[in-house]
Amino acid sequence: MQVTLQTLVGGLSLGAIYALVALGFSLVYRTMGLVNFAHADVVMTGAYVASTFSLTARLPFALATAVAIAVTGLIGLVIERVLRPLENKDFDLMLIGTIGFGIVLQSVAILIWGTTGRAVPSPVQTAPLSVGGIRIRTYDLVVMAVAAVAVVLLMLFLQRTKRGTAMQAVAMDHEAATAVGIHVGRSNAAAFAIGAGLAALAGALVGPLLFVSPTMGGSLGIKGFAAAILGGFGSIPGAIVGGLAIGVLDSFAAGHFQGYSEMVVFLVFTAIIMVRPTGIFGERTVSRA
Amino acid sequence: MRYRLAALASLAVFAIWLPYGVGSYTIHVLDVGLVFALLAVGMGLAMGVAGQINLAQVAFFGAGAYVTAILTTKSGYGFWTAGAIAVAVSAVLGLLVGIPALRMQSHYLGIVTLGLALAFLNWITNAEVAGGADGISAIPVPPLFGVDLSSDYLYYYLELAAFAVALAFGLFVVHTSLGRRLRAMRDDALAASAVGAQIPLLRMTAFLVAGSYAGIAGVLYAGLIRFVAPETFSLANMFLLLAMVIIGGRQSLVGCVVGAIGLTLIREKLVDFATYAQLSYGIVVVLMVVFAPTGLAGVPARLRSIVDRRRRGGGAAAPELAAFQPLAPSTVDLPADRPALEARGVSKRFRGLKALDGVSLAVRAGDIHGIVGPNGSGKTTLFNVVSGFYRPSAGAVLISGQPAGRAGPYQRSLSGVARTFQNLRLFRTLTVRENILVALDRTRTRWIWRYPLWPVSVVRAERDLGRRAAELLDTFGLAGFAAALPGSLPYGTQRRIELARAMAGAPRLLLLDEPAAGLNGEEARQLARMVRSIRDSGVTVVLIEHNMGLVMSLCDRVTVLASGAVIADGTPAEVAAAPAVIEAYLGDAELSEEMAP
Repeated sequence: MQVTLQTLVGGLSLGAIYALVALGFSLVYRTMGLVNFAHADVVMTGAYVASTFSLTARLPFALATAVAIAVTGLIGLVIERVLRPLENKDFDLMLIGTIGFGIVLQSVAILIWGTTGRAVPSPVQTAPLSVGGIRIRTYDLVVMAVAAVAVVLLMLFLQRTKRGTAMQAVAMDHEAATAVGIHVGRSNAAAFAIGAGLAALAGALVGPLLFVSPTMGGSLGIKGFAAAILGGFGSIPGAIVGGLAIGVLDSFAAGHFQGYSEMVVFLVFTAIIMVRPTGIFGERTVSRA
Repeated sequence: MRYRLAALASLAVFAIWLPYGVGSYTIHVLDVGLVFALLAVGMGLAMGVAGQINLAQVAFFGAGAYVTAILTTKSGYGFWTAGAIAVAVSAVLGLLVGIPALRMQSHYLGIVTLGLALAFLNWITNAEVAGGADGISAIPVPPLFGVDLSSDYLYYYLELAAFAVALAFGLFVVHTSLGRRLRAMRDDALAASAVGAQIPLLRMTAFLVAGSYAGIAGVLYAGLIRFVAPETFSLANMFLLLAMVIIGGRQSLVGCVVGAIGLTLIREKLVDFATYAQLSYGIVVVLMVVFAPTGLAGVPARLRSIVDRRRRGGGAAAPELAAFQPLAPSTVDLPADRPALEARGVSKRFRGLKALDGVSLAVRAGDIHGIVGPNGSGKTTLFNVVSGFYRPSAGAVLISGQPAGRAGPYQRSLSGVARTFQNLRLFRTLTVRENILVALDRTRTRWIWRYPLWPVSVVRAERDLGRRAAELLDTFGLAGFAAALPGSLPYGTQRRIELARAMAGAPRLLLLDEPAAGLNGEEARQLARMVRSIRDSGVTVVLIEHNMGLVMSLCDRVTVLASGAVIADGTPAEVAAAPAVIEAYLGDAELSEEMAP
């Protein structure tokens, strides 16, 4: 029991990160039907920028994260602009195009930061809390809190602001949205920038948990993507639930299967998705039949 | 053709002479390039030809190499025995990874296959039998009748032979029955199943082929390098392979080969600037996707179309639609007592919405039967139930007195039901002739065992299909467009192609969904003539149509649907006088506006 709970707590903190990654995927997917395979490498870029500014420039962690969000937001705008001719047209080509961008981001990261990678010290140095015999790292709590705040802010933005509502409208029907005077291109660009910003936040937060390297996006991004699919592609609550589920699955697999955890995670994921391809909450987008 | 043969011959001579002209390092790079070319051909077949996003190709490759390595170094098998087992294992792995493709497509499939590739990578980095991160070294040199294959020069010829056979087989598949069905499935899986393609089996075939090619590549790689380690099968190499296929042109196998060998050579030239090389091929992939989605292989066709357009402006006439040649009338008496199509209390519910509500109707054999009704009255849903796309929530469909049961669209097509679609569903990257050929092909998918085992019979069947396609194109006056892509033709012509495609399956029952939509007066008259001739040749025709003039003049009987239920049934005159119909139709304009989604 003790061990189970301990694993669960560890899984939830990593799960919060996956949820952030999945949110970025889903936000971009639902607004423009673009599956952004470069998202994983945007996370990696975010992790590097944040760690560089906090380690080298000695900025406070929060400020470094903000810089990372701004930088990746710009990258998001560039990706969206280049791939705009393909939006809502050829699904498979867009997918491959974003993979191309992923390759570019990775090689740029190698050019700037080298291939070796770096360990990022935790910004919170207090001793772990002990609740009912379970040791909880304070940083895990920070991660979960930040992720929760980000989710709440995103929901408020989408539901309470004019731009957010416009984004929802574009998600439902981009032609009708154009007809009522919404600038679809601008709205898509904003969605892409926000998605990339969420990726940077995830990257900054995951830095102290994992090792930051140019290839860290690979498994992190695919798990985030898996989380989005598991929850129901394009669904915001789905991304959160899917993220936490993958995090917990990851943590239990690591506990029981050690080195083989990744294999177990993906096999289990494949099995679940075979049974229910639309995920827990069902795909929430315009039908693209 | 003669130019092609000459080009092929000179290419073969060049490939055979090549080792004499290059140094030992270059030949090694070429050997690696050929392995990647094999991988790329397999990937092109699955992704470009069959449209299955397969991002696990590198894992199939790894399986081939690792099984060879393990069996030769740990179990004491000979190289070729181990290699044969390895190819079989890769093929089976391909099938297993392909299973998710039965349930999902596109990006879902991409992420699942990528996840499974990571799972494989995770296994080889950890498993003791696979040597962990160190991999397996000291794989024996493959023996070959005393030929010393430890020489990269001699190994080149072995690879070249294997590659030539594999490429020839791939091209053979693409340009014959199986490849046409795969391409049709890529363009429009729904329409492909309506003309008799068994989609699930075809998807599995695509993965099986991808797995087999990767397996062969893996065995050759193991024999060439004689050392395997996890980093060769990493995601970075998966994306490199993807770049090769995209830059070369995923829909052309030759393009894939050019991409693979070209990128291997460039990567070796830039080996000291590996990161810049990676950066530039990433950029090239992005540019290719946006500006040249068909890759290098598509460039000649694009240039040709530009030249053609210039010339067309200069006055060369476009081919014209020829007249329809009436079909031979049937001499067989149709059974009058047994309806060709019968629906018994068919209902179809979509969550809350009831699209069909207890529809019963009978279509007499040899009739032209009209189905009319306001928008949203369930006409197309009824067609979808009859042709097997939807399973009815209640009730049964009988075709020629036989319960259709749970038979899927392809089975119904093979048993004699053909249909057209409301918004044209032609295979857009197949020529008009190929569109017809796909539907003419009545073989079951399991017939593909002939491809590896008895290819001669494939060639023979192909010749026969070609002859019948020419006849059919003549009958429908389409001979002038045989080599054109449907998308480049006028709308009325496309409608006629779809009709010809439906008739290619020699159906007993033909379902036409709004065949006159978008046709001008003359085209509609031609359509009526064709439909009558088709009926006279012994085919029962059911048509959904909004053009009431056409329905009244053409149909023997008419069924009227409103809100998913039958409100009238009888001869056109009877139906036109029925009060319920008048009510439904007088309210039509308002109704359809209110009911529009």
